[in-house]
Amino acid sequence: MIGRILSLGRRGCDVLEALGRSGLFLAQSGVGIPSREGWYLWLRQMHFVGVLSLAIVLVSGLFIGMVLALQGYTILVDFGAEQALGQMVSLSLLRELSPVVAALLFAGRAGSALTAEIGLMKATEQLTSMEMIGVDPLRRVVAPRLWAGFVALPLLTVGFSVIGIYGGYLVGVEWLGVFEGSYWGNMQASVDFIEDVGNGMVKSLVFALVVTWIAVFQGYDLVPTSEGISRATTRTVVYSSLAVLGLDFVLTALMFGGFS
Amino acid sequence: MKRSKTMELGVGLFMLAGILGLLFLGLRVSGLTFSVPSDTFRLEANFANIGSLKPRARVTMAGVTVGRVTAIELDREWYDARVILELDAELEGQLSRDTTAAILTAGLLGEQYVGLTVGGDPEMLSDGDIIRDTQSALVLEELIQQFVSNMVSD
Amino acid sequence: MIDSPFVEVSNLHFSRGEKVIFSGVELQIPRGRITAVMGPSGTGKTTLLKLVGGQLAPDAGRVLIDGQDVHALSRKALFTLRRRMGMLFQSGALFSDLSVFENVAFPLRVHTDLPPTMIRDLVLMKLQAVGLRGARELMPAELSGGMARRVALARAIALDPELVLYDEPFVGQDPISKGVLVQLIKQLNDALGLTSVVVSHDIQETLSIADYVYVIADGQVMAHGTPDSLDIDDDPRVSQFVHGEPDGPVPFHYPAPDYFHDILNLEGRP
Repeated sequence: MIGRILSLGRRGCDVLEALGRSGLFLAQSGVGIPSREGWYLWLRQMHFVGVLSLAIVLVSGLFIGMVLALQGYTILVDFGAEQALGQMVSLSLLRELSPVVAALLFAGRAGSALTAEIGLMKATEQLTSMEMIGVDPLRRVVAPRLWAGFVALPLLTVGFSVIGIYGGYLVGVEWLGVFEGSYWGNMQASVDFIEDVGNGMVKSLVFALVVTWIAVFQGYDLVPTSEGISRATTRTVVYSSLAVLGLDFVLTALMFGGFS
Repeated sequence: MKRSKTMELGVGLFMLAGILGLLFLGLRVSGLTFSVPSDTFRLEANFANIGSLKPRARVTMAGVTVGRVTAIELDREWYDARVILELDAELEGQLSRDTTAAILTAGLLGEQYVGLTVGGDPEMLSDGDIIRDTQSALVLEELIQQFVSNMVSD
Repeated sequence: MIDSPFVEVSNLHFSRGEKVIFSGVELQIPRGRITAVMGPSGTGKTTLLKLVGGQLAPDAGRVLIDGQDVHALSRKALFTLRRRMGMLFQSGALFSDLSVFENVAFPLRVHTDLPPTMIRDLVLMKLQAVGLRGARELMPAELSGGMARRVALARAIALDPELVLYDEPFVGQDPISKGVLVQLIKQLNDALGLTSVVVSHDIQETLSIADYVYVIADGQVMAHGTPDSLDIDDDPRVSQFVHGEPDGPVPFHYPAPDYFHDILNLEGRP
């Protein structure tokens, strides 16, 4: 019994220690002073995590918008309320689906790649040699990736929303014959820029920070062997997915739960 | 360090697309308009019951949106709801003093909005005036109550 | 000043978890010479270099480089000190996203404000010294192991350091590459007046260039001396290592219960 409590305590300490380490890690890498060099490194990471994730995010967004319109139509048409299709598609995308699904896709596509890349740099002693040359790898390697993720995911989320709403338009208006004016009109009447678009963006910023943070920390903190890298990559996807879904509930409760 | 032009172009386009997308969400999806604040004037209207009317609800005239509800508060003197409306400046001095304001519902289950109907008074409403003639929101429970009491009295 | 050692390790203690790696190591690395640190695998030779480079902190004892205590320095002062050191890693540790040229230029770009033409000249000089000027546009993935290590060497000496640490420079190299590296280490040391520390367990290659040799085993310095004096040292562990005998004071077997009992142990069988 005492042994159980002991091992529980040890695990608790391990978790706390890892949290503390990752917090310090975030603080140290986040303050990297932007220089011309840093700007270029950031640009390269933007290409890596942003532009290269664009295809998967846009295709998923299109399909999710189309499915939403199809599902929504069959339900709304029973109430004779198919005019509200635009409202339904846009609100579900802006408030919920775009931030969450884009963050999950981002964790799978970019997060795991970041972990593997940094882990490989660690395993091949590139980080150590950088330190020996007198360059802080937190600033040189981690900070640009952190900032690129933080900027790229909200942009990807916007893309997801836009193409999802367009997908809803294709199915709802072009295929199922909802009146075009009411699709856009109902949407405009019910979507509030600050409340809906703004809160969705806030969610997306939070997810971006958390997913990128988890990804780079897992990469930086892993055991530098091939097994360690594959484990850390898995951990990145699992932890960031759970963190995104859990935080989504908390943020939704704060934003739309009427606690204000 | 060698710079790859295609990569820079890619990132530039990516960010531009993101900003354009945000613009699209603002203008096309949430229907934002860049109206200058001075383009409006204020009217007040007291309602006995506003139902579920919310700030930012539309104000319409013959179905055309002409303004928004900016604030709803309790009138301490009469204990009813004072609703502040902000209307297009073009309408200032065009609405007669006996204009009526009614709280209407879009469809059976839709959101509530304020509908204005012009009367025949030669005097016109101006900034800060109060609309006297108002019609409260329909509250389903009250309707049922009326219906039941009518049935009983018949 | 010439006679004072460049690196001085005194009473160094270090352990990783339960495992004691060093218990009271004393080293004196003379200026301008090649000093070899040898010992069987797993005796913490790489750890020693990391302690000298300030990447790990010892449990007790200190490391002085040119009179400065490495582990008492602030982070900033440590990074400044590291500009005077170069380190060649076991795996080369070239930055995989940069070309050979950019890898060698990297320390120059981050530590100096030299104009691009001068950086180009310096990089080409360093690459010429390791014989890879023609390979400057290649990426690290396109290099053979020996070439990667030579590029890494060029990068390590890019800032003209005073001290170069070599971590297992010969491991996993074919005889030609080994010969090239031996010659390069020797030439660079003599031509640039470097202080070199070579950590290795390749006896022949190391002994052929070292001016002074330390043998480490069991967390302590077992023997030290010039290569000539080392061979005749009568410590059995040293002679086992130098002559490459499979069994001796350093046992062939990992600690285990008695073989006879172990094999007859019926309880352990499924």
